[in-house]
Amino acid sequence: MTKRIAIVEDEAAIRENYADVLRSQGYQVQTYANRSTATQAFNLRLPNLVILDIGLDEEYDGGFVLCQQLRAKSATLPIIFLTARDNDFDTVSGLRIGADDYLTKDISLPHLTARISALFRRQEALKQPINDEHITRSGALTVDSQRMCITWQNKSVDLTITEFWLVHALAKHPGHVKNRTQLMSDSKIYVDDSTITSHIKRIRKKFMQNDANFDCIETVYGMGYRWLSDNSTRDDED
Amino acid sequence: MVIGRSLKLRFGLRAKLLLLSSFLFIIPWFGYQYVWEMEKYLRFGQEQTLVGTARALATALHERENLFNNQASFLPNVEQGKDLYGYKLTQAVQLDGLHNDWPEFNQRTHFYHHQQQLFAKEPLSLNFKASVGKYDNYLYLFFQVVDNHLIFRGKNTRSITNNDHLALSFSDNNNKLNRFIISNKKTGWISAFNVTDDDTNIPEPAPHIQGHWLLTPQGYNVELRVPLDNLGDNIAFAFFDVDKKGSEAVSAIGSADPSNAESLGTIVVPSPEIERIVKGMRYTNSSIWVVDQHHRVLASAGSLKSASGVWHAKEKQPKENEIRSLWYQFKQHILFPLYYKILTKPSTDFIDQLYDEQHLRGSHIVNALTGEATSQWRLTTDKKALVLSAAYPIFINNQVQGAVIVEETTNGIRTLRNRALEKLFTVILAIMSLGALAFLLFASRISSRIRHLSNQAELAIDKQGRIIGQMRASNSNDEIGDLSRSFATAVNRLSEYNHYLESMSSRLSHELRTPIAVVKTSLENLSLQEEQRAQVDKSNSPYIERAQTGINTLNLILTNMSEATRLEQMLTTTEKIDFDLLQVVNGCISGYQQVYPSIKFSFNNRICDSKRKKLLLYGSPEHIVQLLDKVISNGVEFSQDNKITVELNTNNNNAELFISNNGILLPEQLSENLFDSMVSLRDKNPKGYSKQAVPHLGLGLYISRLICQFHHGKISAYNHHDPEGVTVHISLPTKV
Repeated sequence: MTKRIAIVEDEAAIRENYADVLRSQGYQVQTYANRSTATQAFNLRLPNLVILDIGLDEEYDGGFVLCQQLRAKSATLPIIFLTARDNDFDTVSGLRIGADDYLTKDISLPHLTARISALFRRQEALKQPINDEHITRSGALTVDSQRMCITWQNKSVDLTITEFWLVHALAKHPGHVKNRTQLMSDSKIYVDDSTITSHIKRIRKKFMQNDANFDCIETVYGMGYRWLSDNSTRDDED
Repeated sequence: MVIGRSLKLRFGLRAKLLLLSSFLFIIPWFGYQYVWEMEKYLRFGQEQTLVGTARALATALHERENLFNNQASFLPNVEQGKDLYGYKLTQAVQLDGLHNDWPEFNQRTHFYHHQQQLFAKEPLSLNFKASVGKYDNYLYLFFQVVDNHLIFRGKNTRSITNNDHLALSFSDNNNKLNRFIISNKKTGWISAFNVTDDDTNIPEPAPHIQGHWLLTPQGYNVELRVPLDNLGDNIAFAFFDVDKKGSEAVSAIGSADPSNAESLGTIVVPSPEIERIVKGMRYTNSSIWVVDQHHRVLASAGSLKSASGVWHAKEKQPKENEIRSLWYQFKQHILFPLYYKILTKPSTDFIDQLYDEQHLRGSHIVNALTGEATSQWRLTTDKKALVLSAAYPIFINNQVQGAVIVEETTNGIRTLRNRALEKLFTVILAIMSLGALAFLLFASRISSRIRHLSNQAELAIDKQGRIIGQMRASNSNDEIGDLSRSFATAVNRLSEYNHYLESMSSRLSHELRTPIAVVKTSLENLSLQEEQRAQVDKSNSPYIERAQTGINTLNLILTNMSEATRLEQMLTTTEKIDFDLLQVVNGCISGYQQVYPSIKFSFNNRICDSKRKKLLLYGSPEHIVQLLDKVISNGVEFSQDNKITVELNTNNNNAELFISNNGILLPEQLSENLFDSMVSLRDKNPKGYSKQAVPHLGLGLYISRLICQFHHGKISAYNHHDPEGVTVHISLPTKV
């Protein structure tokens, strides 16, 4: 069954470019130029994944409104923001109202498609029983690379795809410093240094929601970040 | 140029207003002029009054021949020494041969010497001074005789002329000549004898002529008096000198020949009749004189010292409670001494020696005696007082026979003027001090408002020309308020414009991102299709690749452009934490050593305090790292000898970081705004980094400054020499 992807984007050229590349990947793509047409279509039937732009025609926050409406309809529908707005505030707002990922338009198409397929894979994997093959454990951290979910002290940490890839890249080699460029390529994004910094900060916050004492991601000033296995932190605490 | 400007005098608003207010000084000047003008009119009035008084008196004396009859006023001329004038004595004199009770004796004497000699058989050894005065009903005569040999009359000598003697003759009221000889046997009371032309007659003693004969070292003095009731108009006296006892007189000096009735001189004494008339006028506060045509005073009344004119009003004595009032004391002790530095108090003890009573001088008298009424102003001889004299002729039978002279000082007017000026000065002083105070307050208020405005304007814009604060518009409804409002508007607009400029790069990048995304996605689609077709003809693919490289670079530029804005937004939400700067710097430097393997980093930790291993800061370590990244990468690019020196120090709760590289110097004019947005020096880089891997927009150091500001720190760059290069100085407050 082909997956249906809806693109809501007011810029026709980009919309069609994305649609083309996704169609070529075998997806069924519906494109909408504004919020009203998209809302009408979504009322009839929800797609399997939605790519949203934030500014839609005259509506400055049209994408956010649409995202909220979609999230109200379905809690599991994957939503990706793909926008020219690269500021921290919009990123935080977009993720907070339920988007699964927040991407800027400078992302390359292969990265985009990789992300989309990752999202579908995760959806698929969630339906299947947990397969221990894909699970790696490191202290309190459990990484399920198939379902792309992470648990900390047996509590699930709700991470976006980008964040998952970041944690995954760090936790794969505990104690090794990963610089920002490496992290960017691992998480299939290209952003500037401060965006990485804010991503790391967000990740730390998400972990700290479960465990206030979480301090496994260490900043190595001037180089990057590294994952401290919690055994060593425990040792430190003792 | 700079020196010239500093020497230029600053002429502030307050000084200008003060200068303008100095025009207030015209008011007292006008007041002063007005009072002077008033005085002029008063003087004119006084002059008229005086002339009127003189005319009134003259009118009383016109055509009253008999008043002038016996006053020898009809003589065509008078001869000094021969025609005598009896000065009016104000006090009784004692007949003691001493002249100390004669007022102004020396001025009122006439010196008789060889010109007045009657005969001389031997060389003249005699001269004398004579003075004539009138008191009550007597004519007083005083002689001061210089004689080498004084020969008294012998004890039993019958002759009264064979010794030094005085011959005195005068006509009586019936024009009959009376002759007397004063011939003493010794000093003391005089012996007067009545003699006749007939020498055989025995001289009769004349007891009504009384006097005193006093010996002096030079000769002798004779002081005598003659009752006025039998005294006519003519008089003569002569001293006869005898040098040998018992011999005849060898020489004689006198006013006239006493034995010859024809040759007698005249005597004028102040006329009691005229004086009676004049006395009636003495209540006019004037000094009045009546003179005959020979300028001799016939009568006088009043004294110049009390003649201060009709304007003279007695000063009101202040009441007791008035004296005790503070204002009166202030006026008396502070204001008046001040005023009288400018004003002069009319003096009452002036001395006027112009008038010898025997002979009044002055052009006004001369004019009056030619029949013309005149008045004149003159100063007293000691120049202390101004005297106004008016002279009016007295006509008898169409002939000028005398004149009335009325004199007054201007003291009355001057006192009046002074009092007016005192009041004027007080009022002016009050007005001026109030006015000056008001002006000063007003000027201070205005200048302080303007200074406040200028300070506000200066504070609103920093050295780099950025708007750092808002101006509060004034509510006041005047020009300065308008200025303030327009300033505030201007600053607001400027700040909006600045904000627009500052956010320009991010807006630009945002706007460009969509079309770039279009190109990029299109290119990627194209390349994907190419791959799918897998055609043998690969000629297109290098172009696609190049286009993709270009678009990626463009994308990178856009990302960098919006970095500063993103950072600013991020900083507003960044939470500050405590962290150790030492650890951060240490970590960074070891990191940079890996990133830039060709550069040699040396880190000098100058914090001597070994106990304090930590340098705690309150802020965001990630951003400090970002700051260091920017500064170090900047330093690396400009380094010519591949050495970067980082120095860490503390100074008064400030962590001081110095990052130095050796290379080209900063241009002077750019050092101020080096840390501004979109300022880059890289075009001038002599090494020719024209093809750089990473494009530079001059945002790196701007980001550094933003981070420094976030930490309340400062960043500056300066050139260092030997070797030449640039040091970036970062100062961050440590956690206290």
